[in-house]
Amino acid sequence: MSHKVVAPGLFDPAIIRRATIDAFRKLDPRELARNPVIFVTEAVSVVVTIFFVRDLVTHNGVALFSGQIAAWLWFTVLFANFAEAVAEGRGKAQADALRRTRSDTHAKRLIDPEGKSGMKGVVEGVSALDLRVGDIVLVEAGDLIPGDGEIVEGVASVNESAITGESAPVIREAGGDRSAVTGGTTVLSDWIKVKVTAAPGSTFIDRMIALVEGAERQKTPNELALSILLSGLTIIFLIVCVTLWSLAGYSGTVLSVTVLIALLVCLIPTTIGGLLSAIGIAGMDRLIRFNVIATSGRAVEAAGDVDTLLLDKTGTITFGNRMADEFIPIGNVSEQGLAEAVMLASLADETPEGRSIVSLAKSRYGMTAPDISADARIVPFSAHTRISGVDLLGRALRKGAVDSILVARVIGIEGKVVLA
Amino acid sequence: MTIVGWAQIVLVLAAVIVAAVPLGAYIAHVLAGERTIFSRVLIPVERAFYKLSGVDPAREQSWLVYATAMLAFSLVGFLSLYALQRLQNVLPLNPQGFDPVPADLAFNTSMSFITNTNWQNYSGETTMSHLTQMLGLTVHNFVSAATGLAMAFALVRGFARAESATVGNFWVDLTRATLYVLLPLAIIVALALVAFGTPQTLAGSIEATTLEGAKQIISIGPVASQEAIKELGTNGGGFFNANSAHPYENPNAFTNMLEIWAILVFPFASVFAFGRAVFDFRQGRAIAIAMGIVLVTGIGVAYWAEANGNPLLTAIGVDPAGGNMEGKEVRFGTAMSAFFAAATTGTSTGAVNAMHDSFTPLGGLVPLFNMLLGCISPGGVGAGLYGFLVLAVVAVFVAGLMVGRTPEYLGKKIETREMKLAMLAVLIYPVTVLGFSAASVMVKSALDSLGNAGPHGLTEILYAFASTNANNGSAFAGLSGNTLWFNTTLGLAMFLGRFAYVIPVLALAGSFAKKKKAPASAGTFPTDGPLFVGLLLGVIVILYLLQYFPALALGPVVEHFLMQAGKTF
Repeated sequence: MSHKVVAPGLFDPAIIRRATIDAFRKLDPRELARNPVIFVTEAVSVVVTIFFVRDLVTHNGVALFSGQIAAWLWFTVLFANFAEAVAEGRGKAQADALRRTRSDTHAKRLIDPEGKSGMKGVVEGVSALDLRVGDIVLVEAGDLIPGDGEIVEGVASVNESAITGESAPVIREAGGDRSAVTGGTTVLSDWIKVKVTAAPGSTFIDRMIALVEGAERQKTPNELALSILLSGLTIIFLIVCVTLWSLAGYSGTVLSVTVLIALLVCLIPTTIGGLLSAIGIAGMDRLIRFNVIATSGRAVEAAGDVDTLLLDKTGTITFGNRMADEFIPIGNVSEQGLAEAVMLASLADETPEGRSIVSLAKSRYGMTAPDISADARIVPFSAHTRISGVDLLGRALRKGAVDSILVARVIGIEGKVVLA
Repeated sequence: MTIVGWAQIVLVLAAVIVAAVPLGAYIAHVLAGERTIFSRVLIPVERAFYKLSGVDPAREQSWLVYATAMLAFSLVGFLSLYALQRLQNVLPLNPQGFDPVPADLAFNTSMSFITNTNWQNYSGETTMSHLTQMLGLTVHNFVSAATGLAMAFALVRGFARAESATVGNFWVDLTRATLYVLLPLAIIVALALVAFGTPQTLAGSIEATTLEGAKQIISIGPVASQEAIKELGTNGGGFFNANSAHPYENPNAFTNMLEIWAILVFPFASVFAFGRAVFDFRQGRAIAIAMGIVLVTGIGVAYWAEANGNPLLTAIGVDPAGGNMEGKEVRFGTAMSAFFAAATTGTSTGAVNAMHDSFTPLGGLVPLFNMLLGCISPGGVGAGLYGFLVLAVVAVFVAGLMVGRTPEYLGKKIETREMKLAMLAVLIYPVTVLGFSAASVMVKSALDSLGNAGPHGLTEILYAFASTNANNGSAFAGLSGNTLWFNTTLGLAMFLGRFAYVIPVLALAGSFAKKKKAPASAGTFPTDGPLFVGLLLGVIVILYLLQYFPALALGPVVEHFLMQAGKTF
């Protein structure tokens, strides 16, 4: 795919700025209640702050001490929030990048599809986001399909690898059960007119963006179990600190609430509790570095549990498109001769397949694309014929799908390329 | 510390392991319902029991039914024991004409015996009639231990089975554990004790003339049989008040070693039985090693502290070579007293052959900490195994998160529900021990019960609640527990320590039994190697040391430093 979502750096200034604001916004107890450890830390921070204010006003206790403890506690809470916000920020930035590519897509909308006002065939350029259900757009070779819809006219080969993962282009045509197209896929040859069937915001791509954004909102099963462990430990240490007040009283020591709170926060697992969500999101981020996109933390976890991997895939791995990798001559055709023939035959084939044949011939066999003289007749690739070629002086070269070639029975074929 | 002292310790531990491995295999066979060497004799007896009580041994129970059966059995035991004590004045076999036991003491004692604690807030020979002793207390020495073994096996079945709705039949487990496991070995150990000089007679007492010509009445009785089940069933309630320090209960070094062996053998054997039941000996071995490390560390610290003696006594001219001999029997010395203390508190036995109250502060810290751990090194019969398995679940969970997979223990995935149950069980101990201790130091009547002031007094309170909560039953002396406050709170601590702990454990068993067994793969965290043992110990240290360190610092630790500074309590 030509569109690549570039992952922003961890310390991208924009993310840091947004995370800093979010760190304070996340102090809202309703939001923090999802994370019991940090919630407890915040609750005791409030208590210590009240003691600090009291000490300041009454000069009874040591304000410097309670003030310092309060500052550390608030710092702990804010840091946990900040870490989570940074991690979330990266996810948001990626979703934004996806969305931007969507709004960058332009559509050629037919002003008057039915030809009532005599402007049939005239198109206007609009943003994909402005399309409404029922609009009819023209999509030509090389264009991105701007939204989900149904073909009303034409036939084209469409590269749907971005959505389905299938590397071979598929033929989509008006009528029948192969008329649906998906936004974000590319038309490789010919043209089609598409009637938009999904409003912006509810297309397939939009749903994918929502999935990426909503991913970190869901807690994974392991995270839930870990939260239970952390909550359990928090309760245990809460009991330890509360009972310590009474036991110390027996031993003749009066422990101030500030000291007990300081001890509590040291004992409860604040580090794991604070960084838990950040860890999960960091895991997804790390996968992206290996070119694997995880749609949720749950998926990362499931990946960890994989014991055996079964692959059902015949396409060429790495690129999503079919590519020529080797020319295999048959009979007494030389390899060089075959390469020259298929290169010439593919010059008029603008599909990734055709282009890859040309580039393979150039790189491995050192050929140069000849200037096609005026008297040569070019046969471009089309989804109808599934054949491309060129008629030179006394030479007719054709290349295409095996069955199409057999049907066409074009004279003078010097070689055949079978593409896997 | 001497070579001879350590040699005795190593000898007994070796004998325990040598016996525990085959005994574990035997227990696994018994609880799987397979034929064993005693089947020929015992099958008719077993069948008769089922016929009498209308139990269908082939019918398995879900964890809930199993737990209900256990609770019902315990409730009946509790009520009958309570009634026996309250009505002993009108019941037969009360030659001394004892009054009914007071309500609060009867509650405490009943709870104590049904929970395998055997905490005694009374003096048996001056409170309980013969009928109460025989029909009430002795029966529970067997069945409370058998109940522990049954519950441990319910959990083991949870791991061993896959996609099963049931975890066994409580009545069958109870009967088999008593008949096939406890009874035969109790007979063998009793005979061995008799051979070494422990009395076993139905005569009441002997009248002796002392060297000065004075008359002395020495009570004897069926001591050896009582002694055997006291140790084997990790009960701890002795025939005499002085328990295993009494020369009739524990006449010499050989019986002492035999008794320590008897204390340790079943808990270790049940761990090996677990390994056998899940068809992987190494799983059981790993847990046994972890238990052994905790046990030996405790022995080492206690022995070191006791052998070093009391610096205050050394200062006034007592030879420090003998170590701290206050409250110890000369025929055992510091090594075997420290060993006995660590063994009796590492299991939930609670028998004593020396007064733990008279240990040095750090020596006394060992039995206290063992019980704060919930007696899991190696624990009571069955109770130690399920206590340790809960910790193993927590340890595996932590390890699983480190390698980024859903944690599995023995092929069972540990998910939210299992974590919830494990934490619920783990939570009970600090709530009970710290909660009741903190409450007690604020109650005037409770403080009046203390025999010592200062940190030693705090240790006495902590010890009492740790002992009852872990169903150990050993006493730190010093504390007079027979008051309304302590009878009630200690009774509740025993109740919570047993039932509030074991119900989540049984639920865990049910939950694991339902799960599929995931086959081990290259990514599975191995739970049979040294790494797992280390992790298990790490979890124990982090979980328990952090919990109890503040309280311990105010008790034995501060007492140690004050003693060094020359202050005692």
